[in-house]
Amino acid sequence: MTTDVLPEVGRPARARAKRFARPALLAAGLIVAVWLPNGIYTGLAVDLLCWALFAVSVDLLLGYAGLLSFGHAAYWGSSAYATGLLAVHLGLPFPLAVLGGALTAALIAIPVGFLAVKRVGIYFAMVTLAFAQMIYFIANEWRSVTGGENGMQSVPRTLGSADLSDNYYFYYAALPIVLGGLWLAWRIVHSPFGRVLVAIRDNPARARALGYPVHRYKLAAFVLSAFVAGLGGGLFALAHQFVSLDTLHWTTSGKAVIMVVLGGIGTLWGALFGSSFVVVLEDSLSQADFASPGLLTGGIFVLAVLLFRRGLWGSVAAFFRRR
Amino acid sequence: MKRFATALGAVALLVTACGGGPQSGGDSKLTGGKIVLGVLNDQSAGYSALSGKNSVEAVKMAIEDFKAKYGDKAVTSDIEVVDADHQNKPDVANTKAAEFYDRDGVDAILDVPTSSAALKVADVAKAKKKLYFNITAATTDLTGKSCNKYTFHYAYDTYMLANGTGKNATENGAKNWYIVYPNYAFGQDMERSFKAAVEKAGGHVVGEDAAPFPSDNFSTYLLKAPTLNPKPDVIGTMQAGSDLVNLVKQYNEFKLRDKGVGLSVGLMFLTDIHSLTPAALAGTTYTDAWYWNFDAKNREWADKFKARTGSRPTFAHAANYSAATQYLEAVQAAGTDDADKVVAQLEGKKVDDFFLRNGEIRKADHRVLHDAYLAQVKQPDEVKEDWDYVKILKTIPAAEAFRAPSPDCQL
Amino acid sequence: MTNFLEQTFNGLVSGSFLALLALGLAVIFGLLRVVNFAHGAIYMLGAFGAYVLADELGLSFWAALIAVPLGLAVVGVVLERAFIHRLTRLDPLYNFLLTFGLTLILQDLVKARYGVQSSPYAVPSALSGSVDLGLFEFPAYRVFVLAMSVAICVGVWALLTRTRIGMVVRAATERPELTRAFGIDVGRWITPVFGFGVALAGLAGVLAAPMRAVHPLMGADLIIVVFAVVVIGGLGSIFGSVAVGFVIGVLQVWAEAYAPESWRALIAQTLPFLLMAVVLLWRPAGLFGREETA
Repeated sequence: MTTDVLPEVGRPARARAKRFARPALLAAGLIVAVWLPNGIYTGLAVDLLCWALFAVSVDLLLGYAGLLSFGHAAYWGSSAYATGLLAVHLGLPFPLAVLGGALTAALIAIPVGFLAVKRVGIYFAMVTLAFAQMIYFIANEWRSVTGGENGMQSVPRTLGSADLSDNYYFYYAALPIVLGGLWLAWRIVHSPFGRVLVAIRDNPARARALGYPVHRYKLAAFVLSAFVAGLGGGLFALAHQFVSLDTLHWTTSGKAVIMVVLGGIGTLWGALFGSSFVVVLEDSLSQADFASPGLLTGGIFVLAVLLFRRGLWGSVAAFFRRR
Repeated sequence: MKRFATALGAVALLVTACGGGPQSGGDSKLTGGKIVLGVLNDQSAGYSALSGKNSVEAVKMAIEDFKAKYGDKAVTSDIEVVDADHQNKPDVANTKAAEFYDRDGVDAILDVPTSSAALKVADVAKAKKKLYFNITAATTDLTGKSCNKYTFHYAYDTYMLANGTGKNATENGAKNWYIVYPNYAFGQDMERSFKAAVEKAGGHVVGEDAAPFPSDNFSTYLLKAPTLNPKPDVIGTMQAGSDLVNLVKQYNEFKLRDKGVGLSVGLMFLTDIHSLTPAALAGTTYTDAWYWNFDAKNREWADKFKARTGSRPTFAHAANYSAATQYLEAVQAAGTDDADKVVAQLEGKKVDDFFLRNGEIRKADHRVLHDAYLAQVKQPDEVKEDWDYVKILKTIPAAEAFRAPSPDCQL
Repeated sequence: MTNFLEQTFNGLVSGSFLALLALGLAVIFGLLRVVNFAHGAIYMLGAFGAYVLADELGLSFWAALIAVPLGLAVVGVVLERAFIHRLTRLDPLYNFLLTFGLTLILQDLVKARYGVQSSPYAVPSALSGSVDLGLFEFPAYRVFVLAMSVAICVGVWALLTRTRIGMVVRAATERPELTRAFGIDVGRWITPVFGFGVALAGLAGVLAAPMRAVHPLMGADLIIVVFAVVVIGGLGSIFGSVAVGFVIGVLQVWAEAYAPESWRALIAQTLPFLLMAVVLLWRPAGLFGREETA
């Protein structure tokens, strides 16, 4: 079945436009990233970084492997807890703690992914959702380690002698990790591995006939995606110096999916755009006299699914491509 | 590593020079020349009815009453309220609390339901050296291992609820208890305190079960209750919110009251009784931090509150009013909103307002002590007025209502 | 022993809700290939429907039992025509996402109108007593819920096996390509079947109103358990979904009553998901599913 879940990845655009457009876009993105905490509230700026990684990790699976994970909070959250534990108990410098957290998430993703990739499409979504819910219950139960419902308090963020207590400085300290994570996602998509994933997504039978171990490719993609989600989740724990059960709840998974669909599936840029949009929208709603945030996000989301499936970014990109 | 840190510092300095970075306040007696109170609570999810926007209204009432009381002698007439919805999410609470203190110049944050969010805000208050009055979060950690100089715990906590009901109901004749509690931090804290209180008062816990949280099916425990040996006189439930509603509905379905097994509830708000109807809860005992129709003084304020909001106040609304008032009084007395000086005014202060009866702001752990009440839900034919659902069986004196300062607390 | 039977019976009652919800989900999936994320929200609407009819029109539980599912069937038909229909030619994931968005909207609409506190709803007076089942007494309302859901499941089963409509639906569910190849117009049944599945969820909601808290999020966590139920049973299999629904209900109650004390809550909560993992390892298509429905 051909679908438009996955818009034209790697379809040859007009070469000349592309040659200038990509570096210009990258430069613009970098400038925005460096300027950001001077323009908006610093705590919000750090949140934007973390959610951007999370959304990109979901898009990596949905956009390029055609797998909708509705349980990605499991990796975002388990990395948040692992990062917190490493920082609290071992006092690791924060980049190492985040790395450890992301590796933990990847490790958890192996058995879950092994089971989940046996199914495709809607089944995959339900299976990932159910496993994530299971991990949520375990974290709630494992109170001595996670702090249960009260959460894990006072997670330190250290880096040598640098004082990172102010979010303004933490933003710049975290930025390289985020850019590294985004670069990793970009590399995965544009590697031969990424091409095979897209091939499997578009025609699994042919890929199998060509001798590609389809399940193993999907599992690898799942684990890599969990790693990227873990980078975001670990930073999120440090950003708030705190980990709560919310990071594992299915509504958190749902939020990441909303971000990707709103931004545009299968573009990576779309995930960045969508996550920024949702985070800023929710932030402004929390101080507006409006008691139904779900109504607005849900409404925009439904409209996106019905009317502009390319998402915000995809629609804009398509508009410029047409000109 | 050191070189990296230096480089990082250099980059940061550069960016700061370009016009960003954290700002510092002015040097008048009041930061920003005014007092700003920040109400941070749930305005869209599970706790929005029992506190929410109406607590913002209660704080506004406190400000008006303060201005009316002091007139020209008030330390300032420029007092503002900002509020935000944290949807019970600790990360949102964290960001909003920091934003309140840093950007909106908030001097004191009020309310913050959900223990995880409240613990986080207490952390922020400590880091920013600004005040925080917790009202609707129940965890005793706020006056235990997570206590700090700038955080005060108003209204209630798990110890006060569990101890009040466990001790007094046992003394009133309920000897054998079956405790059902939700399987998360709040439930476990409640269970521990409740069991201790029951046993200390000479009662006996014949069974206890941790139920899944959340759950919509409590029938397993309700079927089990009458089969326990000895048969329990009372089921003590520590469930809250919709779990409590589920349990009470099913308790009635299984007709346990007719089988001689009573019901006692750990935490209940007026809004819970309203949604379950008094008939479903008739005779149930629980501990309340404040009740609007307790006496004329409470009723007078409750009438003013109703005129503004259209509904009767829960104890959370009254506590928000009281906390805002006590903060403003302390600023008035100190002549400044400097946090350390205000804290010095508050610590150890004895207060008596309509919420804090025989009140004292305990110096050792910043627990705000006051009388609590053992309440019982009226029989349906006793309910003569909307929202007047309970009678107060007993006043629990302030000195007994709360736990002794915890050795874990180092301010 | 009596207590064990009592608890088992009790488990069947709570399994009734899972079975009814799984049945509706499976019927819809069968014909539309749509997994309706909003199924939990519809269950919630069913309970609120009963509450609103009682509160504003003074209608009894019995009237609600008829009126609410019918009303929600209409809602279902409208939803199908207005939204779901537009996306059926695309990847089914789009309808999954769409119904997820609808869930957020429905929950917030109800929240905005009726608040977050639970709304009161009483057991109908005719069923407020107890029934003597020989070995033990049980609340009459619970016996009614179980009887009702068994009757509906059997009724739907009869409908599917004994009538022409049922044959078409079943054929389309189990061998979609083959059915179309025989020249049977499957499309005309899509809208009514969606309405029917939604009505089943609404009925479960009405049945829940007297014994469970009626609040906007009452279906939000439940739907995830129902997902696990249909994955275990095999999404294409209507019988599997219903049977597993009852079985999970019983197993959860057994876990709460008899598992080692400190593990009870965790086992009861994770059991559906653990079973799902085992089934996926052993029979990826589900216990009663066929491989090609994957």
